[in-house]
Amino acid sequence: MRRVAVVGYANTVFKRRHADKTFARLAYEAVRDALFMAKVRHQQVQEAVYGIYNDLFTHNMMPELHIHYQLGLARKPAVRVTSGGATGGVALRTAWQEVAGGLRDLVLVVGVEKYADLNGVLEMIKAMVYGGDQFFEQMAGVSPAGSYASPAIFHMQRYGTTEEDMARVSVKNHANAERNPDAQAPMRLTVDEVMASPMIIYPYKLLDHCLSSEGACALLLADEDTAVRLTERPVWIKAIGYSTDSGRQAERDGVGDSLLPAVVASAREAYEAAGINDPASDIDVAEVYDSFSGIEIILYEELGFCGRGEGAFRLKEGFFDLGGGLPVNPSGGLIGGEHAVSATGLYQIAEICRQLRGEAGERQVEGARRGLAQCMGGARGAYSCVTVMEVD
Amino acid sequence: MGGNEDPRMQPGIWSEKEGVFILPDEWKLSYQVSCGELSPFFRALKEEGRLLGMRCPSCGAVYCPPRSWCHDCYADTDWVEMAGTGTLTAWTTVYFAASDLVEKVPFRQGGVHLDGARYPIIGRLEVEEEERLVSGARLRVAFKPQEERRGRVSDYYFVLDEVS
Repeated sequence: MRRVAVVGYANTVFKRRHADKTFARLAYEAVRDALFMAKVRHQQVQEAVYGIYNDLFTHNMMPELHIHYQLGLARKPAVRVTSGGATGGVALRTAWQEVAGGLRDLVLVVGVEKYADLNGVLEMIKAMVYGGDQFFEQMAGVSPAGSYASPAIFHMQRYGTTEEDMARVSVKNHANAERNPDAQAPMRLTVDEVMASPMIIYPYKLLDHCLSSEGACALLLADEDTAVRLTERPVWIKAIGYSTDSGRQAERDGVGDSLLPAVVASAREAYEAAGINDPASDIDVAEVYDSFSGIEIILYEELGFCGRGEGAFRLKEGFFDLGGGLPVNPSGGLIGGEHAVSATGLYQIAEICRQLRGEAGERQVEGARRGLAQCMGGARGAYSCVTVMEVD
Repeated sequence: MGGNEDPRMQPGIWSEKEGVFILPDEWKLSYQVSCGELSPFFRALKEEGRLLGMRCPSCGAVYCPPRSWCHDCYADTDWVEMAGTGTLTAWTTVYFAASDLVEKVPFRQGGVHLDGARYPIIGRLEVEEEERLVSGARLRVAFKPQEERRGRVSDYYFVLDEVS
């Protein structure tokens, strides 16, 4: 396999609705800026991979074809990837395979989300539940929020984790977002304010909940020879782990120690390939899929950033803060930064690129050389993708 | 089946004919589609009965349907008004439609290469005489009366351009 680097990255700002832009325009702005960073013209791009999650959001079943054409890339291959909230990570993996395997030297990866044409939150939820098991869960009223509530309840029962512990994730991520000019929800909050926000689904309140965003992110991948010609600061994709779990969330309840088994499997693959033995010290910065506050605490443990049952304590200690031992979600994550579903996985990777290139501004993690991005999707993390990146 | 009843509220039934159990379902989603940066096109169409395009300041290409950047130059384009005349590329007759044009079937539809535009545009053809529908025939755009326009592409159609 050839070494593969990110040589350009860019994203739009994220907000609830970009009413003034079509989905093609959002994609274009991210692509234009990523190409500009690498000083590459679009004519040089050999192929593009699009992460676009939900036809019912985009109101179109072949959005990648229309975007690709309008990007001036017609008569070159376009591939669409859709894997729920893991779409961005799996899209990157698809492009990485093309370059690592020697099929292409220069491939674009684009994630674009435009969900808010759907007429309100209820319509959006309606358009999401069709990801659940067709007969046994979707019709039973299973929602994405519900799927992420049960592991938090398990965690509370097993380890004594409290709602206040979870609220601290929201406080941290909204505060990190204050240092991110592209973030949707920069806020200075207290634990009490999170606790006092309206209950959405036990144990989560409104401020424990991820955002809903529109926006786009683009990355340009190159093989080693091309990368070193294009930039003095290539960010190497060291390893990607990807896994799945039972599509029926109910069939995972209480099985084994892991609350998110696909996360463990994807992390194991990535760590083995990257030669990581102790993630807490081998990784300098991480972006993880905080769909809900309690899930971020569980992810610390599933990703091996601390031992099982230690997540809430280590968070309280400040280990995962900016300036802590392993800063998690410096961008603000899905709770404070953005959750433009189709773009999220790529935006996490772009944030790691920013950090490793020393371009993260006020939220820069000093001396970061190796970073991790993890995204997941489907009911309660049925897909999970872990990407490890580093600079020389 | 009752008129507005939600099919998901109806009981499932065993189908003797197909030998499977059938669950009624419905995908019914409503949208408020933002036309984004292309909004001026749809607004001018509905409110003024005008056909707008966009022009690349770098290479001069004019796009109608409008596109807000040129895919050759990657430059942002500017609004221009189309002359509304052009030539027919190819055409057909549509007998079934699930679109805004459903009330019009059967209707003729063709590609029209508008004067000055880089690419042809699709439109409904209001032309009775089939023998006059030949590639290269001169056409001009026409609009429904204002009270019937809804800001959709079904608001305009093409007729033979007798003058030019």
